[in-house]
Amino acid sequence: MKILVPIKRVADPDNANKVKVSGDGTQVTSEGLEWKMNPFDEWSLEAALRLTEDGAKKTRTGEVVLVTIGPKDAAQTVRTGLSMGAERGILVEANDQELDSNMVAQILKAIVDKEKPDLVVMGKQTVDGDSNVAGTVLAELLGWPLANYAMSLATDDDGKTLTVKRELDTGVSTIKVTGPAVITTSDRILKPESVKNGVTPADFKYPEAEGGRYASLKGIMAAKKKPIDEVTAASLGATPQKTLSYLKFELPAARSGQTTFVESVEELVQKLKSDAKVL
Amino acid sequence: MIEWSEQHKQIRSMVRRFVETEIVPQIDELEHGDTPPYEVLRKMLKTFGIGEMAKGKFLADLERTKKGEVREKKEREGFHAASADAMAMQLIPIIELCRHSPGMVTALGVSIGLTAGAIQRKGTLAQQEEFVPPLLTLEKVGAWAITEPGSGSDAFGSMKASARRDGDDYILNGSKTFITNGPYADTIVFICRLEGAPGPDGELPIVSFILDRGTPGLEQSKPLRKMGMHSSPTGQLFLDDVRVPKSRLLGESEEGGARKSAKDTFGSERTGVAAMSLGIIERCLELCKEYSKTRVQFGKAIGEFQLIQLKLAKMEVARMNVQNLVFRQIELAGYGKHMDLAEASAAKLYCAQSAMEVCLEAVQLFGGNGYMAEYRVEQLCRDAKVLQIYGGTDEIQISQIARSMLRDV
Ligand SMILES: Cc1cc2nc3c(=O)[nH]c(=O)nc-3n(C[C@H](O)[C@H](O)[C@H](O)COP(=O)(O)OP(=O)(O)OC[C@H]3O[C@@H](n4cnc5c(N)ncnc54)[C@H](O)[C@@H]3O)c2cc1C
Repeated sequence: MKILVPIKRVADPDNANKVKVSGDGTQVTSEGLEWKMNPFDEWSLEAALRLTEDGAKKTRTGEVVLVTIGPKDAAQTVRTGLSMGAERGILVEANDQELDSNMVAQILKAIVDKEKPDLVVMGKQTVDGDSNVAGTVLAELLGWPLANYAMSLATDDDGKTLTVKRELDTGVSTIKVTGPAVITTSDRILKPESVKNGVTPADFKYPEAEGGRYASLKGIMAAKKKPIDEVTAASLGATPQKTLSYLKFELPAARSGQTTFVESVEELVQKLKSDAKVL
Repeated sequence: MIEWSEQHKQIRSMVRRFVETEIVPQIDELEHGDTPPYEVLRKMLKTFGIGEMAKGKFLADLERTKKGEVREKKEREGFHAASADAMAMQLIPIIELCRHSPGMVTALGVSIGLTAGAIQRKGTLAQQEEFVPPLLTLEKVGAWAITEPGSGSDAFGSMKASARRDGDDYILNGSKTFITNGPYADTIVFICRLEGAPGPDGELPIVSFILDRGTPGLEQSKPLRKMGMHSSPTGQLFLDDVRVPKSRLLGESEEGGARKSAKDTFGSERTGVAAMSLGIIERCLELCKEYSKTRVQFGKAIGEFQLIQLKLAKMEVARMNVQNLVFRQIELAGYGKHMDLAEASAAKLYCAQSAMEVCLEAVQLFGGNGYMAEYRVEQLCRDAKVLQIYGGTDEIQISQIARSMLRDV
């Protein structure tokens, strides 16, 4: 099985340097930021790796291709994914500021047309833009079935059909999709038994984790030698059009950090109404 | 080397994530309780494939030696990035662990670096094959025992522990103290004097034996209570007529090469201290910067007071210097070289003292909170002190540096 996993780098919230807005409010500035892989993408990569390996024997049985759209140094994020186990990477050179979800989906479509993967497994959203759009638009452009918010994946005997449990506010919906398809994931995909591929023994459990797997030192060394192709939208024959324009950015108001102590429940309710204005 | 490479940073962020999710949440049990460190260390070696990688390389080298291929040890021409990276891969986990738990590094370093290292250097092929691989993965815990109640800095001069021939066997007696991993060790390298004829230097030869936990006559004490490094159990060993066959004599030779081997072991112990100090200093500095910005007194963040700024600036200078020494170690490895004993002593002396100073200033900068366990700097401060004592005290390093300088005059 060949899976395409689109990944994006986002500002690392643990770093002392935070995202800033330019003086005129027209753009978000990224100077001095440390980057990490968008967590939703990391979970998708984990799911894709589980689909294409024997988890017990730790051997690869399929191919995971990473693609990122961004500046040249975003290759580092691809390298991180390669050290976790993906086979190769593609960097589509672009300026973050000049992209919107629609353009991302159009560029991804061009990549899919070229790579012809069996699945695209991607994060449901990024933690910076929070749009939750690219995966859905991509499925539409490709005319492929879409399984959003997957919390578990299991391949059927034919290897092409997947049983997908989707996590929704109202409960869990179970659907079957036949590949090629687009899948977006939720964090429950990290559960020890959430991915079944017919190769990894059915009773195998992945370790309980809050993120994707750790790259081993061997993996990190091996990643140095794995290929990352650098391409442009034009070289792929894509002419993505921007449909969204940003009007203004502003930082959220700083929290006051004040603590108020109350004597009774009545007073609490009163304060929530009058001071906090949340009731 | 002037800065960490992208690959180094990647290793760092992976290990940091592991430390923060696996160790920090149980730091109090590890640092103030009775939870031994081995389980979580094993998990770390496994997660990053460190143990398996070391074992694989060791077995491949051993196979080559068996076939009679001589391992080329000569200095290579030019710089080899792979060798430098291999050194960086050893040092980065040390730095990262030391940000929270220097004791873990002590326990791990003694087991893998000192114990497995000594057997690898001096053991027969059969001894290496039997004892080294499980130590590299921490499947077995190792201890390396030279210090005695009556002999520390003068480790060889006043050594009382002894071995006596008895037919084909040896009978061992003596006691050892301050032995890292002593209470839990499965494999112990025991260093002693061989009774009988003195060697060419007029002294009884120094030899080493490999002992198993549970050998009759060997007693391993409970952990000793100590100032810091609580995540590294330290204990005493008592040997009362312990009988071992010749196959347990390290190198199966009575030549007394153990003296040189023990010195090499000291050398390797010293090089780890720079990385340990860097982790401790980095963490103190990080905590201090944050506290200087958020702690308000006299209507100002304390970072605005010049006396606080002086502390921060000095900590930063220490961080830069210690980091440069770590970089030098990595760069040297790339050229197939390592620090000689005098340089390693100088580096150990400087790094240990810097770590201690930074920690004391960090406690001071935090005021009363600095004295409280919750703010963590007091733990690092207690831990850092031992860097000036073990692996040769500051005083011993100084005399070694001076001796080597005066010899050259
Ligand atoms: C936490 C911990 C873990 C340890 N782990 C191990 C271990 O795993 N294996 C092991 O074998 N040992 C271990 N040790 C022992 C350690 O190596 C010794 O404590 C150290 O070498 C100092 O010896 P000593 O304690 O006998 O001090 P002493 O040698 O008695 O020194 C006392 C003081 O005299 C000074 N001094 C001594 N000689 C001179 C001199 N010639 N000139 C000037 N000053 C001098 C010293 O610097 C020191 O200040 C450990 C110690 C500690 C604290």
